[in-house]
Amino acid sequence: MATRDSRSRSGRKADQEFVSEAEEILERMREDYADLDDQRAAGGDVDPDLINRMFRSAHSLKALAGMFGLESIQDLAHHLEDILDGLRLGRVPMDSPCVGLIDEAIHTFANLLESVGNEEALAAFNEPVEDLASRIAASAKAAAESGDELQSLDIDEALLRALTEYEEHRLRENIRRGRHIMLVGSTFEIMSFDEGLSELSDAIRAIGEVLSTLPAPGETPESQIRFSLLVASDLDLMELTAALDFPDADVQSVREGAATADVAPAPSKVEPAPQTPASSEQESLRSISETVRVDIRKLDELMNLVGELVIQRASIGEIAARLISQHESAQVGVELSKIHKSLDRKLKGIQSAVLEVRMVPMRQVFDKVSRVVRALRRDLQKDVRLEVSGADTELDKLIVEELVDPLMHIVRNAIDHGIEAVDERVAAGKDAQGCIEINAFQRGNHVVIAVRDDGKGIDRSALFAKAESLGLVSADTELSDREILNLVFSPGLSTQSEVSETSGRGVGMDVVRENVMALGGAVEVESISGRGTTISMTLPITLAIIQSLIVVVGEHRFAIPINSVHETLLIDTSEIQRSEGREILNLRGDALLLRSLSDEFELGVLRDSEKQFAVIVGVGEQRIGLLVDRLDGQQDTVIKPIQGPVKNVRGFAGATELGDQDAVLVVDISSLVDDTLSRKESA
Amino acid sequence: MKRILIVEDSPTMRALLNSALEGLEVPVKITEASSGFEALRCLPRELFDLIVTDINMPDINGLELVSFAKSNDAYRSIPLVIVSTEGSERDREKGLELGADAYLVKPFEPEHLREVVVDLLARGAQSE
Repeated sequence: MATRDSRSRSGRKADQEFVSEAEEILERMREDYADLDDQRAAGGDVDPDLINRMFRSAHSLKALAGMFGLESIQDLAHHLEDILDGLRLGRVPMDSPCVGLIDEAIHTFANLLESVGNEEALAAFNEPVEDLASRIAASAKAAAESGDELQSLDIDEALLRALTEYEEHRLRENIRRGRHIMLVGSTFEIMSFDEGLSELSDAIRAIGEVLSTLPAPGETPESQIRFSLLVASDLDLMELTAALDFPDADVQSVREGAATADVAPAPSKVEPAPQTPASSEQESLRSISETVRVDIRKLDELMNLVGELVIQRASIGEIAARLISQHESAQVGVELSKIHKSLDRKLKGIQSAVLEVRMVPMRQVFDKVSRVVRALRRDLQKDVRLEVSGADTELDKLIVEELVDPLMHIVRNAIDHGIEAVDERVAAGKDAQGCIEINAFQRGNHVVIAVRDDGKGIDRSALFAKAESLGLVSADTELSDREILNLVFSPGLSTQSEVSETSGRGVGMDVVRENVMALGGAVEVESISGRGTTISMTLPITLAIIQSLIVVVGEHRFAIPINSVHETLLIDTSEIQRSEGREILNLRGDALLLRSLSDEFELGVLRDSEKQFAVIVGVGEQRIGLLVDRLDGQQDTVIKPIQGPVKNVRGFAGATELGDQDAVLVVDISSLVDDTLSRKESA
Repeated sequence: MKRILIVEDSPTMRALLNSALEGLEVPVKITEASSGFEALRCLPRELFDLIVTDINMPDINGLELVSFAKSNDAYRSIPLVIVSTEGSERDREKGLELGADAYLVKPFEPEHLREVVVDLLARGAQSE
């Protein structure tokens, strides 16, 4: 009995976790749907980001329900996702009746969520859910078919098929705007088509848009090539032909534009919905973040298992390749390789589903921060308001957890040391109320979280004096402004001579930097005297499975996390300049410091070739180039901590196993960039 | 000796494709084209055994290149692999419909690319 009881209790707990997160998603969808409805009613264009966000919500809900085995919700979310995908890509028109079904689906979700955990109640919904799902499917299909103007075009099928999704979208958009769609064709000599073709394209661009350029064999295919340009223009066939003045080009009409081309409705500017202020009164949010805390260990376990599978899958691939390469086993190899490929696709699916569940919006952390700001405002009697943007930016749960302390510290610092007392602000001609802005946004594979205050800024001379008194610099050290600002990250430094209660003793910006670097990120500081300070943290989106670039130095292989790699260059060693014992590469006018991985890790590998690969890496704004002998492609890697004697060697973030079961070390880019640049500063 | 044409506008991706394909066990000669136009010029100059192309490029897109190669008797039988950024399921479908022989998503794994290539080269050799 006891086991049964505890099982149902843990089942209930899992259900609650699901419900709280699903409700959060649903709430967001409700708000977005309300905005969508308003924008449709206003008759203007609907903000594409809004649709995209709703699509992602439906997608998250589907993935979440799938993880918890709630089929009816998963199924409905899947159909909803289809409609939104159609709307998103312009395949389903915005005035389609299926848009109304979104609202119905949201209501149904709410009903379903109330019944989670109660099998009977859930079963009672089976029929209505199925009915709604099939209506959505039918209506999305009908809308997509009726909405597909492209099928009615008088155009070669091959040309339509060669359009990328984006080009298709541009074509639809031009049809919608009532432009004339035409096909301009011309034949060129194959070895010298560039010039003629670009003249023709440029001439067309002056009077319209080139949607696509399709090459086809000419009449004598060995020496000629024919190009068909799909063109949209306000000019009609005759006008365009006359305006082009290209005797060799033939123009044919694909679709007549609307007679009233120029009165096509201009998209009315849609006012972005005001950011709902993060409310700390929503206690439910706190409970969600607590359930997440428990969740993450399970997710980590799952992620580790997926990681192991990913690695084993790679070994299967290699075995298949070996089999194929030997004549007698080639057939078996090909079969194994097919299985490997299908395994590969499925694993990718699991991987992205797990990764997606790990992602949480920054909102949860921002809510905590706003509570802290309120408390501090009271305690310190400073008048400060908090402005938050980008609360929807998503990050790996693990990183979000680790981020709370550094972020809190930065915000406390800003209120305590940055924002001046009211009389001081007024005397300086500033608004009496100080302002702290937190802005989160995605940049490539990273998320940047910037905290800006409009306080007094960092006092460089006080900072320098303090660093000098601590023996970190001597009075005659010449530092650039950036280097002086970076002193705030030195251990034991605080410009306020008496350390206040709020910012605490002992925890300084050095700890913030350490924490952020441990996550593979970077911290940067900017400050304008009298105007304020901005501290930006750049963090990778996830720490789980990451893509690494495998590089080779002599006999050794290393993994470099791909999200730190900006580009790779094949350089001639003669291009490397030497100055004061440092190696520098001129990269598009900027001097880039180079580090040889062989020197860095004392491998003693001599550069025997005149060519070297420079892997340009960096975190935040900083860049260095790592010199390696060869690149060995990209691989999925799961970084594991190093055990044993090399455990504490700086420069390695961990170890990873590659498909051939070989363990390689993962280069810690943050510390390497840091070391290289600080070596430069001290040089 | 197998002749492979790589069509890719990003120098980094070209280097990665190149180094992945150099790892093939058969000897290869790789020709790099940094745009669709350049590829169109390369095609008549050599008898290629395989083409690897990106989709999104500044002049003509990879799908257009596939369409060209597959509608031309001289190039129709050359196996063609599209390597493109993750994203559009439709682009993938179209590429395969147009006659591409394989579609890989970036970031690709070198050994996966090699497997696909070995597979296609073997098929090409059989049909000769």
